[in-house]
Amino acid sequence: MAFVPPSPIYGLSAILLIVAAFAVPIFTLFVKNKRFYDAYAIAFGVFALAISISIARKVFASNAPIIYPFGGWPPPLGIVYEVDMFGAVIGLLISSVMFLIIVYSTWYTERLSGYEWYYTLLLGLEAGMLGVVYTGDIFNLFVMLEVVAISAYGLVAFYRNRPQAVEAAIKYAIVGATATTIYFIATIFIYGSYNTLHMAGIAMRNYGYFHLTFPGMLNYLPGVFYGNMLISACIALALSLWVFTFKAAVFPNHFWLPDAHPEAPAPVSAALSGLVVKVGAYASARFMYTMFGLGSTELLNHGIAHGVPPPRTMFMIALGVMGALSAVIGAIMMGIQRDVKRLLAYSTVNHIGFIYMAMAVGVQGAPRAAIALALAAMVFHMINHSVGKSLLFMSTGAMIKHVGSRDLDKLVGIGKVMPVAGATTVIGALNLLGVPPFAGFLSKYLLYQAFLAVGMPYLAVLVVVASALSLLGYAKLIYMVVSSKPAPVAPGSIKESPVVCGVLIVLAIATVALFAAYPFVLKHVFVVTAQHLIDPRIYISKYYEVMAWMWSSLYGG
Amino acid sequence: MSTEVLSFLFSIVFMSMIVNTALALYGVLARPSLVKKIIALTILGDSANTFAIMVGFRQPSGTNPIPPVLLWKPTPSNIRYFISHAVDPLPQALVLTAIVIGLAVTLFLVFLTIQIYRQYGTTDVRKVAKLRG
Repeated sequence: MAFVPPSPIYGLSAILLIVAAFAVPIFTLFVKNKRFYDAYAIAFGVFALAISISIARKVFASNAPIIYPFGGWPPPLGIVYEVDMFGAVIGLLISSVMFLIIVYSTWYTERLSGYEWYYTLLLGLEAGMLGVVYTGDIFNLFVMLEVVAISAYGLVAFYRNRPQAVEAAIKYAIVGATATTIYFIATIFIYGSYNTLHMAGIAMRNYGYFHLTFPGMLNYLPGVFYGNMLISACIALALSLWVFTFKAAVFPNHFWLPDAHPEAPAPVSAALSGLVVKVGAYASARFMYTMFGLGSTELLNHGIAHGVPPPRTMFMIALGVMGALSAVIGAIMMGIQRDVKRLLAYSTVNHIGFIYMAMAVGVQGAPRAAIALALAAMVFHMINHSVGKSLLFMSTGAMIKHVGSRDLDKLVGIGKVMPVAGATTVIGALNLLGVPPFAGFLSKYLLYQAFLAVGMPYLAVLVVVASALSLLGYAKLIYMVVSSKPAPVAPGSIKESPVVCGVLIVLAIATVALFAAYPFVLKHVFVVTAQHLIDPRIYISKYYEVMAWMWSSLYGG
Repeated sequence: MSTEVLSFLFSIVFMSMIVNTALALYGVLARPSLVKKIIALTILGDSANTFAIMVGFRQPSGTNPIPPVLLWKPTPSNIRYFISHAVDPLPQALVLTAIVIGLAVTLFLVFLTIQIYRQYGTTDVRKVAKLRG
């Protein structure tokens, strides 16, 4: 069968957005009108959204990952993008939330000088995030992580004459740059012993598919040529998981988040808290399930010594403990904040803890159906947290911009003068807390069920306890809106912008719509995604198929 | 060159790389001056790059490896010789990318440090503390 090259849209979104981002400084030489830059950013946001929708539809229609080799190089050479269901779902989430954030930004940047640089960085951030989720190459993941990271540092330091913002940015940037360098060392370890950088190729080695022979000249590819695979895999996993937990702000590595997220402009806080931390969680899940997954021979079947759990189980236990600690600590720290945005930042630490707890149940010996349920809950919770947290950062951002203070006490009674922002803040808080008419309830309930099914009831109890502890923080937010105390500004002096109201209402409807569509999305999206994530055989065989096709068509096969 | 000498030199490079990495991490995490942190960060990046180049190195039996560029007419026997004697070019490409990225990150950090100096009048992180952490 002749090889049919896949349509170029799979590789397009990241490159297109990077080109768009770097074209902005050129446009500033000719165009001074702010409306032009608003339209420009929205146009590329729509474009990225359209591409993500079409990728997600194609992946779910074909029920298999789609491989896109860059530049037509046959797979073991060159860079490949491999979009599976997990990548497609998270990519769709990123581009849709980023689109709303860009729309909101057109209002937020109205009286901001330097909005053209703001849009450059925002488009760069979106490009990096989409690159991370669509790529199938761990070195390309490093490059895209750096794109995300540099854009994020720049956006945190956007108010460059505000000492706190610069301080938060340098704190984030110094440790972040160290972290990405360490991830580079991890990729070198993997390359040294696996002799490939493709995720599917690494998974192929781990699952012991050595019997697959390569067509044409590539028979020399399988086989280890440098060092011990088990040791270098363990070192690489330890290094890269530290980096991902830093990016995702899981407990001991969360120190930068409560400073960096509040100091950024409001839409940027929404993007950082809602999406950038998910990139870390996404990469951890990709490493622990697709590449070094359940049943991978090297890490699971060769325990180090008798009585010691296999290395992969130990990594999972570490992730689970870190997740549990960050869920509890985030919830407790939320309750003692006076700054609205710091409160929301600690809420991110809390929810990322839930996500890592769900990820960590996939150890050998646990029932597969229960692990699939936990991963479905993880994906669902990632979506709910993204929607809820970006909603909250944007609604409180509008209040903060009008009142001019981030202090909870100074914002009390704001609901009377800003009804839409107030109502959506309450909806967002209830969604993250997990109250029934909103989807956050269902994902927490699913987490609870999954922990019981997998035989770890203490984690299920922990979900309830951490949610109960976080009630204090969310209650502060709700009180801030519905309090009967006089409003901080004169009634009638604030006119809510229709753009902001539109964005907030869309996000609020999304929380209810996800609740209503739950039976459908659970069966057709999340469970399917989780099953493909647990069992990477399709991921590997699709990759192998494309590789065989391309080599045989090269040799006139 | 005999194998013993070669493996001795190889281990020296490897050990110095590990020591360099440890020193660089100490510098990034423990030194108070932002400028010294940035210098330590570049040392960390360079150690990582050295490591990558080292992973790409290989010793064909008895002879020195050749650079990963095919300089002769590409006949099948030339290509066979090249494949068995050239060092791995991929880590070199990775290092090239990592150097470019490192340049961008370092420039950004230097700019932020200048901005810190303008705002606080110091680059000592112990005195730069308006945030609660």
